[in-house]
Amino acid sequence: MDIQQRHNGKRVVFSEASFQKIRLLIRDFLLRSRASMCIFADVNGYPIAYGGDSRGVQISSLTALAAGSFSATLEMARWLGEEQRFRFIYHEGAHRNLYLSNIGDNYLMIVLFDKSVPLGIIRLLTRQTTDRLNELLNDLRRKSDQATQLLDLEFRDLLDKELDRTFGLNRS
Amino acid sequence: MHVDAFKREVIFKIVYFGPGLSGKTTNLEVIYKNLDPQIRSDLISLKTSEERTLYFDFLEMELGRIKGRKPRFHLYTIPGQPQYGWSRQIVLRGADAVVFVADSQPMRMDDNLTSLMDLEIKLIRLRKTLARFPWVMQYNKRDLPQAESIEVLERKLNFLHTPFYEAVATKGIGVFETLKCAIQMAVQKATL
Repeated sequence: MDIQQRHNGKRVVFSEASFQKIRLLIRDFLLRSRASMCIFADVNGYPIAYGGDSRGVQISSLTALAAGSFSATLEMARWLGEEQRFRFIYHEGAHRNLYLSNIGDNYLMIVLFDKSVPLGIIRLLTRQTTDRLNELLNDLRRKSDQATQLLDLEFRDLLDKELDRTFGLNRS
Repeated sequence: MHVDAFKREVIFKIVYFGPGLSGKTTNLEVIYKNLDPQIRSDLISLKTSEERTLYFDFLEMELGRIKGRKPRFHLYTIPGQPQYGWSRQIVLRGADAVVFVADSQPMRMDDNLTSLMDLEIKLIRLRKTLARFPWVMQYNKRDLPQAESIEVLERKLNFLHTPFYEAVATKGIGVFETLKCAIQMAVQKATL
């Protein structure tokens, strides 16, 4: 089993072992930082792995917004002539704070943490974790190759029927 | 496309493109209102104070398991106003299919063409092109008395002969047919 992604035409395959490593890194980060939630996502807004207290949070919606926010920041950096991209975004709320950090060009780490947790700890541990995730991703890119065909003709036919049922359409 | 074999999910990104005020957000609002809340997220809209799309609208929907896999769809709109070109570029990244929402009124024809060319330019930046990219044309506002004929719209806009649908998005007409076609094209492209 694996997770497949394409970036700039190159496919990245997350093996079960590498996926477990990512989850362990997230768990370790949450234990050490006392952050309430951490999401590892790609820049297109797909959540890949997350940990912590996600009650009441629509992960996909939060990730889509975070990815949009981060992409806008990258464009701002470019327009301002920054040779290095802005590495993180920090949003301070009344009760909780949000910290977004890039992991290479294609991934993001999204951290939600309580006001009682010092920002310095989050910055330090996020940096350590993104470095470790980046090493893992570089290793994966070297090993990634052929991905299995997951969607066949039968899948497409069954999908058509499911779409008609869900959308209330009559099959022609 | 994003495949998560652990949760056995396949996620597709569908982007609604088109000139300002052509009805992109209305498409998503209709989908949001008509789908069972159990299978869709909240509709997120990043709007200006004038209720125009500032960055994007976002809606996630999912279907039941098919051959053990759960298809999910991330639906985005782009801001149609000319000054938000870079926002459009960002939202378009990673799209598996596009719905181009055209305004059927003759006076909007230049806007439709400009937006279509803008889409092509942005696809080229992503090393893609309309001629080989899954996209659906939706002729919206078909209920307006001054709406242009389909023959004229097809001749002026659909020079690549992509599938098209007539719609009155404010009444929900043609919205789901268009989305179904976009999904089919995205999945077809993924299986090639």
